[in-house]
Amino acid sequence: MWALEHPSAARTGRLFADTPAALLAVLAVGAVASLALARLAVLPPPTVAIAVLTAGHGALLATALAWARQPSGTAALAAGLIGLAAVASGLGAFGPLAYLAPPLWICVLARRGRLAALGLRGPVGLKGVAAGLLIGTFLGGHLLVSASGTLGLHVRVPAMRAALAALAYDVGANVLAAECFFRGALFTRAQRRWSFAAAVTLATAAYVLRYLVDPLLPMRVELVVGAVFYLALLGAINCWLLWWSESLVPGLLSALIFFTAYRALGPA
Amino acid sequence: MIGVALALAVITTLIALGDAGPPSLLRHAYLLPVVTAGLRFGLPGGVLTAASAALLNAPFLLPEIERSGLTTDAAEGLVTLGVLGLAGALSGTLRTHADRHRKRHETLVDVQRALADDVTLDVALTRLRATLAPRLGVDELALAARDGAQLVVAGARRVAPGSLGARVLARGAPAFVRDVGGGVRARQAFVTPLVAGGRAVGLLAVERRGEIFPQERAALEALGAHVGLALENARLASRQRQFAAELSEKVAAARRELEELDRAKTAFVAIASHELRTPLTSLQGFSELLAVRRLPPEEVTRLAGVMRTEAKRLGRIVSDLLDLSRIERGLAPALCRVPLALAPAIEATADLFRLGTATHPIEIECDPALPPVDADPAAVERVLTNLISNAIKYSPTGSTVRVKAQALAGVVAIEVADSGRGIAAEALGRVFEPYYRAPDVAGVAPGTGIGLAVVKALVEAHGGAVRVDSVPMLGTRVTFVLPSCAGPVP
Repeated sequence: MWALEHPSAARTGRLFADTPAALLAVLAVGAVASLALARLAVLPPPTVAIAVLTAGHGALLATALAWARQPSGTAALAAGLIGLAAVASGLGAFGPLAYLAPPLWICVLARRGRLAALGLRGPVGLKGVAAGLLIGTFLGGHLLVSASGTLGLHVRVPAMRAALAALAYDVGANVLAAECFFRGALFTRAQRRWSFAAAVTLATAAYVLRYLVDPLLPMRVELVVGAVFYLALLGAINCWLLWWSESLVPGLLSALIFFTAYRALGPA
Repeated sequence: MIGVALALAVITTLIALGDAGPPSLLRHAYLLPVVTAGLRFGLPGGVLTAASAALLNAPFLLPEIERSGLTTDAAEGLVTLGVLGLAGALSGTLRTHADRHRKRHETLVDVQRALADDVTLDVALTRLRATLAPRLGVDELALAARDGAQLVVAGARRVAPGSLGARVLARGAPAFVRDVGGGVRARQAFVTPLVAGGRAVGLLAVERRGEIFPQERAALEALGAHVGLALENARLASRQRQFAAELSEKVAAARRELEELDRAKTAFVAIASHELRTPLTSLQGFSELLAVRRLPPEEVTRLAGVMRTEAKRLGRIVSDLLDLSRIERGLAPALCRVPLALAPAIEATADLFRLGTATHPIEIECDPALPPVDADPAAVERVLTNLISNAIKYSPTGSTVRVKAQALAGVVAIEVADSGRGIAAEALGRVFEPYYRAPDVAGVAPGTGIGLAVVKALVEAHGGAVRVDSVPMLGTRVTFVLPSCAGPVP
């Protein structure tokens, strides 16, 4: 038993220890520079989207990996893969498939047991998977019903190509980076320092904030309120899912289903 | 849980099929599954069901707000959602609190049961651990309690110096660590002292993969105080039982001793009567002979010598009895101490025996530079007489009795040795007890069993000491020491 048999040395680790500050700075500078250059018409506008997307998701995934004590090269590679996928997604019909590279690489790292700190280790319990699917389906379903009635949005059947591209983006960048950072890294660290409720609050607030500053979110009041409501719910539930199942996979599944449902909504 | 989910689904379906919207009175029916879930599953159940009901009801309520703003109907709908949340939280809290109190009470009862039997501390701690671990819902539980200078631990190998447990024992205050390693779910540790009489008599340590909530920590702290008190009570009860058993054993031993003493006294009365009668008979017989017959002078002298010897023997027995009486009353024998030259005293005493039956040669070996001793001459004579008499009594006829005196640092040691039957090892420790006679000599030689007791009392009254060494079938050696004095012999 630790409490009786081991010396109780004080843990002095800071919440933001091991953050890859240099890499984050490079990503930020890249995004700002591309924005400036696009304003000056030096770069075409799609470049800005690629740079911002790479900086945003890449920073989250790289930080999550760095907090899981992965080498700085691994973190940089994560951001690089997302950047490459963002570039490739605009190159043709099969371009979005490049978004599968980051999750595949994460799978490889997880199989080697290097991402246990993020909750990516070994086989996932069936109960956890079922809970993730159920929660994602419930929230996604509720979103479809509620949004079609209140948010001025309607369920539409998207074109297959666009749907697959959106799914690939969620799988490879949006959901992967967000879950790895806000749940696997931030929540896990926070609940080692504060109470469960405080850790959930912090991780969920940061998660909601991340989507509120997302340039892809339409800035209409009802949509912002709806986003806050559902993302807060999804974030809190995913924190509990990770805590309960000790795996990030159920949360990844529930978030993926929810965002798939979200992609099915469109203006009337 | 399935029933609650079904009820929510049915109510939602009925609202959807009916005149959907906030005014639907059916929305109040959500209270039933919410309160039921709260009372059945506690706070998480109540809140979760209330949240589910709110989510299910939201699609009817929110469009109304979007269409018409915050109308009275919409406000009623919002109030209903608030009431649902409140009802779920309230009923759940009641259930959770009731559960907590019930569990606490059951735990305390179990603690009392675990400590009810008279068991050793380590067994008590093991039992307590087995009782508490499933009740507290922790991954690991350990207990430690002080047992004098030792620390008995159950559930861990030891309490290492510098550990959280050692800190709690030293400070007497609980300690909590949020993260002691582990996987994704933080492993937390809480250690609380077991308190009795205002001091930490041990500790209760728990570890859990997951959160140990503040109210749990408070409950554990209270439990620590209770367990500490219960352990202390158990320890006191055990000590009391042990004390009662020891007392009973001592009373039984004292009774046995008294019975033995009584038997010894009875035997002593018989022996003493016999011992007194023998010289009296001699005196009576020889005195009558001298009174009624005319005997030649040399025969008269011989008979007078025998009578003198018997009279001295009688006097010795009476002196011993008087001294024993004083000893039993807790008084030291009366002494008249003077500087005494020991060599002539030993010679004089030996001569008494040589003049008698002279069945045993007596060898005397005295240190030429023997200093005088500070002693009562009569007492020394009685001590020597008793010891030489015993040596003669318990050694075969013709064997030599050796008396040796030598000066040591500040004392003179006198040793009386024989080559007789010796004393059995089991009897050796009791030979100085009054009335005691070794079982194997009771029928072999006459004696009252008070001689050595008187010797010991007389020697100790001089500030000396006496000891006996014996090898069965080889002989016995009694050594006593008397304080020497530097002054000249008068």
